[in-house]
Amino acid sequence: MTPGVSAAPLSKGGGIALRGLAKSYGNTRALQGLDLDLAPGEILGIAGPNGAGKSTLIRILAGEEDADAGQISNDDGHCTREFLAKHVAVVHQEPQLFPNLTVAENLLVGRERTRFFRPRIRQPDRELMSTMGILVHSNDAVSKVRLATRQRVEIGRALARNAKIFLFDEPNSALSADESRDLFRELHKVSEAGNIVILVTHRLDDLVRHTRRVALIRDGRIDGQLTGTGLTEEAIARLLVRGLEPDEKSNDAARRARKEPGEPPLLQVSAWCHTAKAFSNVEFALASREVVAVLGVEGSGAREVLRSIAGFENSRGDIRLRGREGVAHVRSATAYVAPSRSESLFHNLTVGDNILARLARPEIANIYGRLKKAEMQSRADVEIRRFWVKAESASQSITTLSGGNQQKVAIAQAILKRPQLILLEEPTRGVDIGSKREIYQLLRDFADDGAGVLMFCTEILEVFEAADRVLVFVQGRLAASIKTADHERIEELAATVARAAGEAV
Amino acid sequence: MTGKLPFRASFAVVVRAGGLVAAIIIVAIVFDLFNAAFLSIDVGISILRSMCSVAILGLGLTLVIISGEIDLSVGAMYGFASNILAVTWILGGLPIYLALPLTLVIGAVVGMCNGILSTWARIPSFIVTLGSYNLLYGLSLLVTNATTFNPVYPPDGSNVAAGQLKFFVGLTRQLGAHQLSAEIFWMIGAALVVGFVLHYSLFGFRLYAIGGNAAAARLARLPVDKYKILAFSAAGVLAALAGILDFSFVQTTQPDIGLSQTFPVFAAVVIGGASLSGGKGTIIGTLGGAFLLAELQTGLAVLSPGPYAQQIFLGVVTVGAVGLDIALSRFRSRRAA
Repeated sequence: MTPGVSAAPLSKGGGIALRGLAKSYGNTRALQGLDLDLAPGEILGIAGPNGAGKSTLIRILAGEEDADAGQISNDDGHCTREFLAKHVAVVHQEPQLFPNLTVAENLLVGRERTRFFRPRIRQPDRELMSTMGILVHSNDAVSKVRLATRQRVEIGRALARNAKIFLFDEPNSALSADESRDLFRELHKVSEAGNIVILVTHRLDDLVRHTRRVALIRDGRIDGQLTGTGLTEEAIARLLVRGLEPDEKSNDAARRARKEPGEPPLLQVSAWCHTAKAFSNVEFALASREVVAVLGVEGSGAREVLRSIAGFENSRGDIRLRGREGVAHVRSATAYVAPSRSESLFHNLTVGDNILARLARPEIANIYGRLKKAEMQSRADVEIRRFWVKAESASQSITTLSGGNQQKVAIAQAILKRPQLILLEEPTRGVDIGSKREIYQLLRDFADDGAGVLMFCTEILEVFEAADRVLVFVQGRLAASIKTADHERIEELAATVARAAGEAV
Repeated sequence: MTGKLPFRASFAVVVRAGGLVAAIIIVAIVFDLFNAAFLSIDVGISILRSMCSVAILGLGLTLVIISGEIDLSVGAMYGFASNILAVTWILGGLPIYLALPLTLVIGAVVGMCNGILSTWARIPSFIVTLGSYNLLYGLSLLVTNATTFNPVYPPDGSNVAAGQLKFFVGLTRQLGAHQLSAEIFWMIGAALVVGFVLHYSLFGFRLYAIGGNAAAARLARLPVDKYKILAFSAAGVLAALAGILDFSFVQTTQPDIGLSQTFPVFAAVVIGGASLSGGKGTIIGTLGGAFLLAELQTGLAVLSPGPYAQQIFLGVVTVGAVGLDIALSRFRSRRAA
């Protein structure tokens, strides 16, 4: 056992014990025998890669769903779903409030204590708002106040209904440094009042700074806990990637080292600044045949960098593609793939039509705009095979495909447009492991044809398997550019990235 | 099991189209049982003639609805076209050969304005076309000075050249022994053109994508706004065409003509399988919907139980057809699951 990794301490008095929780969605096993102990007055950190079961755990703890097996109990015995729904409060990164109502009204909804008349704010609510620092906003519509204030309102709502367990789900991902500090002050207050507090976040520095114990979830169970001096950013980073077996082919050093020297860069970005200040002064280049990942937690600016190159975020600076300057040129010579299939696919079209949706004359229509139906059909069949889409036929509805195959269709749609550079946001979100590897290979093949791939990732494993180089973003700045080929094992890459991110703060 | 999917898809099309065809046949048989003369060529031709304006208006509305927008103003545009033609030709003395294309151009401009306001100005198309519905009716009242027109009996001080009158009335003249109106051929021609554009052109292919998921279409860099504006413009031209043809057939126009067509046109399009949320609908479906409505109208006129019956049937058939569609798609998704 790694030093610092210890068995879960058992809690007594007001604690909650989770034993053997299991939950499946269709064929996906989200949780498979998760054990965890929660103690009042303690802040527990939870980390884990995407798809490890964090959100499922949150939903079950919050009483939104029942587990298939296992149980949740406190000192008095089994906790029912109603009990959990009543006592557990989730603070989301995007608070779930009533945007059309005022701050004060939001505190009242669900506990109006009136049968007929319009409910009124009472003294305890006013005191609560005052201690939360939101009394000044009490008559403002929630949609008009800042995100940090909305989160306070969500915490306030939970306190007002006497919740005992607080789940913070990536709470500060879109907050400024000052706002984060205020939020964590609030989080510690909630904990000191004897409540159970759980912090789920991708931000390793927050886990180290604000928690005494971090539990790591992988494949639906707890895969180690860190406490005391063993709780460091690097230790979490190593634990996050422990036991992952990258594909043999992807770690092929020869493949990664075939960049031709002296060739001008495909994409060159300098003095690149986001108008809304998500990032500033970003400078990097991307060569032909190169697959580059931009990595960073929410709020680091990494996602916005990618979207700005696609032309969906207002930015200033110098951007060149094959030496030609200008946002409009880059826009016309690149193709973008959105992170969610609901933004990249047309649910009312067939698989074949989805693949061909970005094409125009001369590929699928003649000069008069008449569709070439026969060519479209044979082309769709060819592309379905070429992109390894598992479909019975091109004419079946896109909604009948699995998530992984839908994502292959989305990527095929963009690649068929023959862009010089393809921009992808979280290219394998919600995709099974087999499809992931196929998608990485498709992107690799596309790059090998002389194009470039730039993708926004949140997972080190994805970076290690798919990318030649990773650009690490921290607080709106490019902290490091790291070659993946310099790292034999994924743990080493994870440690390098964590070190670079830590130094940049 | 998934091997049956293409079969299921085609089965669904048959059920959907078949449902409409079945409804048309059943309604015909029921009317024939009540009135032995219903199943005849003459009644069939009369139904085809009376479905013309709803069908042509429906063609344009189908384009707009597939693009994910809505156009409440097609009926009002139909009326305005008929009135502006009457005023410029009969009152203003503009030759019919100029007044007709002018009217079509006005239709295109009105549609384009609807489209521009709904896309570039980001005003919901429901609001935009609710406004243009009222605006066009107001303009009809303004230009006609709230009077009716008939080119055969022009008002004092105006006169209509005999040749021009013959040409205008000839647009919808009755042909052959069964009094087959030429308006039917205009409808078929318009349906062929719009059907080709929708089902066999790049424009139509992309219009379905845009209506199915406008956000994805934008991210895929499809010309979303341009295509929506074109769909609105086509709806305007088709509404003007329907107004012109009905004016030629009836030979009289009133300021409020066409307003009552608004909801039957919507009924025809949704009965034909178009979805108000966009991305779904066919030309053959819209024609079928318009035929079913005209059939009910004609049958009830023959039986003449009173004007209430037509409205009641319109209501029942509209909700029934869409309800059937939803029930069928639930049935399909349960089978697919």
